[in-house]
Amino acid sequence: MTGITEPSEFSNGPVPSDRLPDYRRVGLNPVARPFYAYSLAVTGAFWLIVLVAVAWMPRLPFIPFDPAPWSVFAMSGATIWFCVVAWIDARRRGWVVREHDLIYRYGVIWQKTVIVPFARIQHVETASGPIERLFGLLRVKCYTAGGMMADLSVEGLDVRSARRVRQYLLEQIREEADETDRSERESAENGQPVENDKPLDHESD
Amino acid sequence: MVSLWKTTSLWIMNPTDAHQWQQLAPLALVFLVIDGLQKFIRENLFWFLGAGAGFAFLDWLGPRELLLALAAILLSFLAWAIIFHRRFRFRLEEDAIRVRRGLFQKRELKVRFARVQNIQLGRPFYFRPFGLVRFSLETPGASEKEVELPGIPAELAEIMRDRVTGWQGGEPEEDQSNEETVGSHGIELYRAGTGRLFLHGLSSNQIWVLAGLVGWAIGNFYDHLESYFREVAIMQWLSEFGGPAWMVISAMIMTGLIILMLLSGVFSIVRFHDFRMFDRGDRLVGIGGLLDQREQTVKRDKVTGLTLQQSALGRLLGCWYLIVRQTQSGDQELSDSQTRFLVPGLRRDDHRLTAQITSEWVRPASLNPISLHFRRIFWLRWLVFFVLVLVALAILLGREHWSLQMTAAGLVLWMIGIQLRWRHWGWQADGDRIWVRQGFLGQQLDVFDLALVQQVRVTRSPYQRRHDLANLQLMLPQGAVTIPFVPMDDAAELANRALYAAETAVTHRV
Repeated sequence: MTGITEPSEFSNGPVPSDRLPDYRRVGLNPVARPFYAYSLAVTGAFWLIVLVAVAWMPRLPFIPFDPAPWSVFAMSGATIWFCVVAWIDARRRGWVVREHDLIYRYGVIWQKTVIVPFARIQHVETASGPIERLFGLLRVKCYTAGGMMADLSVEGLDVRSARRVRQYLLEQIREEADETDRSERESAENGQPVENDKPLDHESD
Repeated sequence: MVSLWKTTSLWIMNPTDAHQWQQLAPLALVFLVIDGLQKFIRENLFWFLGAGAGFAFLDWLGPRELLLALAAILLSFLAWAIIFHRRFRFRLEEDAIRVRRGLFQKRELKVRFARVQNIQLGRPFYFRPFGLVRFSLETPGASEKEVELPGIPAELAEIMRDRVTGWQGGEPEEDQSNEETVGSHGIELYRAGTGRLFLHGLSSNQIWVLAGLVGWAIGNFYDHLESYFREVAIMQWLSEFGGPAWMVISAMIMTGLIILMLLSGVFSIVRFHDFRMFDRGDRLVGIGGLLDQREQTVKRDKVTGLTLQQSALGRLLGCWYLIVRQTQSGDQELSDSQTRFLVPGLRRDDHRLTAQITSEWVRPASLNPISLHFRRIFWLRWLVFFVLVLVALAILLGREHWSLQMTAAGLVLWMIGIQLRWRHWGWQADGDRIWVRQGFLGQQLDVFDLALVQQVRVTRSPYQRRHDLANLQLMLPQGAVTIPFVPMDDAAELANRALYAAETAVTHRV
């Protein structure tokens, strides 16, 4: 924002939808390869614990529960199924940082695409659990004003990428905040509306 | 108004007054004790009376010990209130308010005026003769009132209110409005008479809360009630009326419901008595209440959306209510927050209020429906589910069992429910704002600026991918709004438009 637009120069017409950058046209970066193994290990370990518990339960003296033999087979099938889903999910996951937002895609059966504009991020942090650290992974968490449901956790980034993304997002947030403060100050001082029909300089990233 | 501002400025700028640390009025003790007791009862009643344990405890305790225990609780609250009152201090600064409080741990809080989104002035009946009010502030995202000053002079509270709402980063502007034509609060946009408030009470969900409380109380005190009924020989008394037992019981239930509805109506009148809504330039003001008259002021630029709502009973009575939405914390989304700005007793004609609150927000004549596939897939899924249940019941209990008929009736009702859900869902993009309707027996119509979207989520199930559909979820400062089963191209266009609006918006507005 270099100056205040004169009222005669200001226009705010609708932007044709074909000129809007389409989030679907963006190629996503795959998550780090260690995430495949991490995802498989975590899912497999969880279901294996459940499987072992079901298989061992009849041998425990204090639990009068005897599951049918087919339940162990069913649990084995479920373990394999969830491991396969976790592997496919890890391979399909993707993320990308555009000029003004962050896109993250995940899910196999229910495929989800989440887009967070930088202008709406209030705080960014990186986090990792012990198993993630073992695989050299970091999560990037973005907090917005929409409550817990509106927070985004981007999983599957290696440490270097996660730190770079976090740093970049923090810089973008600072720039956005500075620009907002300047625009607000200028419009308050001059009592005039500010430019709001900035032409799109990119069709897609 | 001009004179008020001049007085205000002089008063505020006087360092010996508002800029000094100040205490609450002594009468604030009454509020602190009542408020503390209310919270104590609310938080412990279920625990105390749960499963009848409380009654057994009371029977064991005896009346004298009970009175002593009650006196001890009251005294401890009084002692807490006195210490809290003695330690409570507040001070008005150039652009913020500062509060010091705490019983064991001293806390100091500073709230900048620019962050405030909602101001409440409460006038409980016991404060009115002394010219005192309860002043409270709310900031975006806070789960409770950020600052509450119970028992400060009304004049000081009004000065603080105008100071906070008028704060633009410089000196407060003089209000140019003509006081004679617009009144001291601004231009009156809406007034709800007693009849409308009664209808609001009848149609509001409060009746079900009351019914739940009564049901819970009857459940807990059943043993005592049963012995009481036996004493007064109520069944014998009822049988004298003649007629079958089911008719008598139905009549009793109906009478109970009517009493609850009347009570709900009366509560609404007490809560919103003489409700008026004013336009005061950059802010909206709502005033109402009999025992505790509340004046709520919200900054217009902190309004994040509007919700027009109508309960199932409200549809029969033609009664709506409007909620002026603001940034909320997760806790508030779950509870029926007392701090939200609610306009009760609206008729269909009063929907013009949306355009008066935020310019050009005019309810569209029609909305785009969601895809028919929504109804088709949910009908199919639930039909399969109910058929499986019916088959299982027939095998286990026999074909003649009454549960089969009940399940079949449940299936029909479920199908009607899905139809109603599908029919109510609709959306309409109107420039940079969007209207979304949803409902089941009642309905809810949300409107908000796309620029306020915090996050966009597009979700697709295998069925939706086959039919080129998607669920679009828009995260807003006041919570999430979902439009399910929209054509993928429409969902993507809405998502792109929302992102463009958010990324080119001048301010955060939250």
